[in-house]
Amino acid sequence: MTPAAAEADRRHEVREAARGWRRASAIDDATLAAIVRVYPDDRVRLGPGFRSLAFIFTGLALNAFFFFVMAVFRPRDEALIGALAIAFGLFLCVLTDVQVGAFKRAEGGTESATALVGLAYVTGGIALLLFEVARLGERAALSWTFALAGAALATAAWRWGMPAVAALAGVCFFLLLGQGPLPRLLWIVAALVSIPALLAASEHPRVPPSHRRSLLVTLGLALAALYVCFHLGSWDAGLVESMRRGGHGLHESAWRPAAILGTALIPPVVAAFGALTRRRLFLDLGLALGVASLVTLRFYVHVAPLWVVMTLSGGAAIAAALALRRFLASGAGGEQRGLTADPLFEDPARHRSLEVAAVLVAGPAARAPATADRSLEPGGGRFGGGGASGEY
Amino acid sequence: MNAEVAAAVARLHRDRVLSADQAALFSRVARRELLSVSAELRILLYGGIVVGMAGVGLLVQQNFERVGPLAVAGALAVAAAGCLLWVHRHGSPFRWRESPSPHFAFEYLLLLAVLLVGADLAYVEAKFTPLGGAWPWHLFLVSMLAAVLAVRYDSAIVFSLALSTFAAWRGVSVVVLEKSFWSGGDAASSLRVNAIGCGAAFLLLAAMLVRLDRKAHFEPVAIHAGWILVLGALASGLGHEPVLFGVLLLAAGGGVAAFALGRARFSLFTLGVLGAYAALSALFLRARPPFEIASLWFAVTSLAVLGALLVVHRRLKPE
Repeated sequence: MTPAAAEADRRHEVREAARGWRRASAIDDATLAAIVRVYPDDRVRLGPGFRSLAFIFTGLALNAFFFFVMAVFRPRDEALIGALAIAFGLFLCVLTDVQVGAFKRAEGGTESATALVGLAYVTGGIALLLFEVARLGERAALSWTFALAGAALATAAWRWGMPAVAALAGVCFFLLLGQGPLPRLLWIVAALVSIPALLAASEHPRVPPSHRRSLLVTLGLALAALYVCFHLGSWDAGLVESMRRGGHGLHESAWRPAAILGTALIPPVVAAFGALTRRRLFLDLGLALGVASLVTLRFYVHVAPLWVVMTLSGGAAIAAALALRRFLASGAGGEQRGLTADPLFEDPARHRSLEVAAVLVAGPAARAPATADRSLEPGGGRFGGGGASGEY
Repeated sequence: MNAEVAAAVARLHRDRVLSADQAALFSRVARRELLSVSAELRILLYGGIVVGMAGVGLLVQQNFERVGPLAVAGALAVAAAGCLLWVHRHGSPFRWRESPSPHFAFEYLLLLAVLLVGADLAYVEAKFTPLGGAWPWHLFLVSMLAAVLAVRYDSAIVFSLALSTFAAWRGVSVVVLEKSFWSGGDAASSLRVNAIGCGAAFLLLAAMLVRLDRKAHFEPVAIHAGWILVLGALASGLGHEPVLFGVLLLAAGGGVAAFALGRARFSLFTLGVLGAYAALSALFLRARPPFEIASLWFAVTSLAVLGALLVVHRRLKPE
């Protein structure tokens, strides 16, 4: 990031925090206005609606333009097509740099679109040249594609401070390791080495907020990769090994008990670390991985019929939420060890919109249009809502 | 730790922009000495309801004969009544205006109660067939019950369930549109008419909520569901009768976009612009242009829309 963009990013962070304070009525309008004056914004930003439209139409225009050129000139040579794709991608990367730099755009939709489309063309072009022109062989071509794409994405993430691009770079990195010998071991080593480094870097005060978010996303990816390595299902299915041709399950491996322990212990350890150090990423990831481990447990150990497990799990989750809420609220100032159930400065409207949308999306199944069909016989129709469904 | 915010809080306190109490609280959050887990608790509650209801569905399906229909129906009714009793005891007095939730689990338990009632009614209807050939009316009953409870206990989540259940009664799933919806048969035409009718009813409801100032804060739910249904139904007809549906979608999408822009409702604006653009492109593609021309069309028109968006944004009030 350029120093100017980094400074704008830091000021934006303060303004966003102040807006959260205002939403929670912790400050008044005059105070918010004073803060905005002290930390002004020199970037061109769009709101979520305009931003998403700008992203969609920029992406559409760029792809349509490339297809138009291809359709008009109809190049047959794969080397030429690959080179054109790379050239177009690099042009878009320059365009992104101009937007972020000279035009001072941030959260504008267009610069994200040019960046992502540009990087996609660069990656696609590289892959085409490696696979069809250089004919390096599948393994080598894949490895080089992941390596070069990862390097390009990492450079772009560093240059423009885009967490989504950083996440893609992280994915490329682990896919590259998946091509090597002993890929599971490589993933474990890479995750164990990178987790403390990424954690330290993501909290370093000199790192701009966008870069910190990028590092946090990559940290989450490393944690997920570590869990996948120790996950019993992935172990038995040889998920990581299947990235190489001839990969096989590790059902008979003497290290299988380590996978059982990992599946059981990683989620609570991650969640506990998150709760004790008040790090949201670890807390949320620990809970999500815990759900995955419980599903895995049910897959391997049939302690009770599925309906019993699901009904009890649902009831337990509801009871746990209520008990936790009560426990946190019972502490001095409504907090325990720095954790509170009060929303503080979050945006309640955003949460509410997501909940309402979830209920609308997962509403009850529509009745069949032909009313003569009594499909609500046992085994037929269903009723549910808010994501739930019941079959009869 | 959020270094920028922590430093800013210290500076703003020094400059007397923030009071000592404000600075102390903001600084604790910025330094990660205080973390809210409100969102996590809500997700846990919501997930519990979803998983629990799926378990109830399996219970009914797999233990249909073994447990006995009366036992199943009775158990569901008791569970629903328990939730409703809790909601009633904790509920605030009725108001037409928005009222703060009396308990953080309040809306979720109300949602669970309505879902249990819905499951019970569906089960009773499937087992005892009291409605006979008019069996889909149980969905209507559930939607009305959900609407009444949503209004009484001021729950936008349950109100959205009422709308989606009402649409389901008319054969329309709000987002996961039935496969036949996109075909050209009579069933699709019937569904399309139902979807447009449902959407229009929701839009009318949205307008009434605001005009009468009764639960006006439910209006965004109704207006979004309404326009999604109307625009989705019109878009589904593009492959069948592109000219008629294309013109209608263009008019509706353009209308929504203009309406939304004037009222700074940008999610609706997005919906309208996308609908209008899809209609315009479908009308153009109906002429079956060669690939080069089609590509050029998308390149030029996308840039034109983008340019228009940026011009419109510049004329609006800055952030």
